[in-house]
Amino acid sequence: MTVEEIRGSVGVSNEIDRFPIGMRVLAVDDDPTCLKLLDGLLRKCQYQVTTTNQAITALKMLRENRNRFDLVISDVHMPDMDGFKLLELVGLEMDLPVIMLSGNSDPKLVMKGITHGACDYLVKPVRLEELRNIWQHVIRRKVESKSQSKSNNQEKPNQGGEGGQEAGSGDPNGKLNRKRKDEDEDVEDNGNEDDDPSSQKKPRVVWSIDLHRKFVAAVNQLGIEKAVPKRILDLMNVEGLTRENVASHLQKYRLYLKRISQQANMVVAFGGSKDASSYMRMSSLDGLGDFRTLSGSGRLPNAALSSYSPSGMLGRLNSATGVTLHSLTSPSMIQPTHPQNLTNSIGSLTKFQPVVLPTPPNHQNTNLFQGIPSSFDLGHLHQNGNKPNTTQIPDFNPIDESRIFTGPSSFATLGSQSSLKMASMSSESFNLVSSSSSYLDVPPPMGENFHDQLPPNSSLKYGYSASSNTIPSFGSNITSTASVPLEAQGQRHGQYGKPSYSPYSNNAFSTLAAAAAAPPPNGGGLGGPVSQANDQICGVYNRSNGNGATAMQRSSRETERSSTELKMGSGEEYLLEQTKLPSGFVANNGYDSLDDLMNGMMKREQDPTIMMDGEFGFDPYSFGSCIQ
Amino acid sequence: MDQNHMKKQINSARNSLFQQGYLDEQFIQLEDLQDDANPNFVEEIVTLFYSDSTRLIRNIETALDNYPLDFCKLDDYMHQFKGSSSSIGAKKVKDECSQFQECCKARNTEGCIGIFRQVKHEHATLKRKLETYFQVSPSNSLENRHTLQRNTQLCAAD
Repeated sequence: MTVEEIRGSVGVSNEIDRFPIGMRVLAVDDDPTCLKLLDGLLRKCQYQVTTTNQAITALKMLRENRNRFDLVISDVHMPDMDGFKLLELVGLEMDLPVIMLSGNSDPKLVMKGITHGACDYLVKPVRLEELRNIWQHVIRRKVESKSQSKSNNQEKPNQGGEGGQEAGSGDPNGKLNRKRKDEDEDVEDNGNEDDDPSSQKKPRVVWSIDLHRKFVAAVNQLGIEKAVPKRILDLMNVEGLTRENVASHLQKYRLYLKRISQQANMVVAFGGSKDASSYMRMSSLDGLGDFRTLSGSGRLPNAALSSYSPSGMLGRLNSATGVTLHSLTSPSMIQPTHPQNLTNSIGSLTKFQPVVLPTPPNHQNTNLFQGIPSSFDLGHLHQNGNKPNTTQIPDFNPIDESRIFTGPSSFATLGSQSSLKMASMSSESFNLVSSSSSYLDVPPPMGENFHDQLPPNSSLKYGYSASSNTIPSFGSNITSTASVPLEAQGQRHGQYGKPSYSPYSNNAFSTLAAAAAAPPPNGGGLGGPVSQANDQICGVYNRSNGNGATAMQRSSRETERSSTELKMGSGEEYLLEQTKLPSGFVANNGYDSLDDLMNGMMKREQDPTIMMDGEFGFDPYSFGSCIQ
Repeated sequence: MDQNHMKKQINSARNSLFQQGYLDEQFIQLEDLQDDANPNFVEEIVTLFYSDSTRLIRNIETALDNYPLDFCKLDDYMHQFKGSSSSIGAKKVKDECSQFQECCKARNTEGCIGIFRQVKHEHATLKRKLETYFQVSPSNSLENRHTLQRNTQLCAAD
């Protein structure tokens, strides 16, 4: 059937020829019986199966080599990590299709899975017929990403993807699959504003950090008033970019600016001078985040990140963290003090409906989130009954830049925590990151950078003087940008006692921010992601994370630490190194829950800044607490 | 003859397991997965199930000893147990698990304790029956099939 079609249409690479035979699947389930069954069933489908009963191990394997697997199947209910969290992480970091598996067929859980970015949701006991069709998710994703990267480029001989796409999408595999497909398409359509509505699979433009920076530079050059897509496009001088792409990106960017200015205003109210910058950052992340969401992962469109209340907190956080990059104190500093808070804050954050950066489901960088949760925790944890952290807010101030970046994303994540629109959040966070990158272009003190780089916007400047006593009241302003549906957030909050996703988004964003912020001292590093046009944003960002972070670190810390061992080129290696840290993951700073730990892990990996700094390092405390 | 007789016995044993509701179609899926590459798949997975489920049962028993009962935890354990049971097609066990979960939802202490006894009973019964079944049914290994063929030929030659 479709296999033949694919084979026929492809004829290029052997791998695609035989596809779906030999598709590499990673199966994760703590139940040995189910795992063995999965293994047997998948082998029967002639897939290449790798199994593990630990989510952490799975993540490690995935991180070690992004290209080692085509698809991940994971149980929802696992002791070491929540399946949804793993789902988000995988989607965020590796942008692989993830299928959820559960003994529970409750539609609410199914919904949750989908909103977290699952390609499919299977109910145990799993049947062979269901597994025979899962390869379509891989094809679909490949097609989507390829079309994105190709943008308006000429057709490449990657017919496999397209052929496969036709086969996969044209093959009505079961209502679930069709639904997913529809959902994906819907999301795609919504997200791909620059796509021709008539065409189904329009190549999507990946707004990488570099690209976004060019965009912002062009806009600034023209002046925000006079920045029209055509002129921006000319100035950017990027091949393959259409006026439509630029137009939609510009639209988002404008929204982002508006958000920032509102945030800045709020910040001003609090008197935190750094806040403005943090907001700026956040917004930039958001901007990207939107893109991310759209491109990504078939997540729900940024519908409702309405509650930016976290942004308020974020603002606080940002101010606390000091927009200045040089204050890159790892979240660890904060964390040890408030491990509880983090978890709680995250939970409470959802209540706030963190508007901020909806983290793209694919990119949930914990790092990003890390910064924020702490702040949130401080302020609003009492919701969760955790130690009232209002007093702790000041603690967050020392949050380092990385935190800051994370902050925006965390906002997003926070919102998304509620689980559902993580995807959208991430995209937003990306936006933020990317935008922030433009802002951060000037290395040292972020605050100053912001000032310089912000488009002429008096309100922003105004924001700088704001103090850092942010209160989560910003939400209302920012909510519009948040794509995380409020309801989802609320739900999430209820369901997850711990902050789960924010860290993810944080990571993604922080990395992005880092990458964005640092003018490519890494030249190669930043260029790398950009060159990976074919990669989805997640991929891009992921790759550049190391570099970006490195770059960021360098810029932010150069003044402070000359020894910033930013290994520009070794960003990725660094990441790998990090993963090798004892216990297999970056110890979290005082995170109580495994979620936090995972987030911390993610963050660490994503944010070399944090990792590099010994003090941030693994917090044995958190590590131990995470171990169950 | 002998083989045929054996085969008939095995088949009827197997059929009764299905007919009596001990096993459902999921078990057939397991059997389908058994081939040359995995000659003992069914037996292996059932063995795995029983060793793992022992642990779960112990957990549940411990939890049932703590009053007041932590229904959430119990439901959680049972959810896992049910997932495993359904994966091998242990129908009766799975049904009892569902009932147990209902009791948990209703916060029915007596009900939970009573149903759990049923769960254990069904669990043990199925184990016995499957053990018997595995003893008599040859695994689908090449070796066994060759033996079968040889025996058949011998019989035919006689």
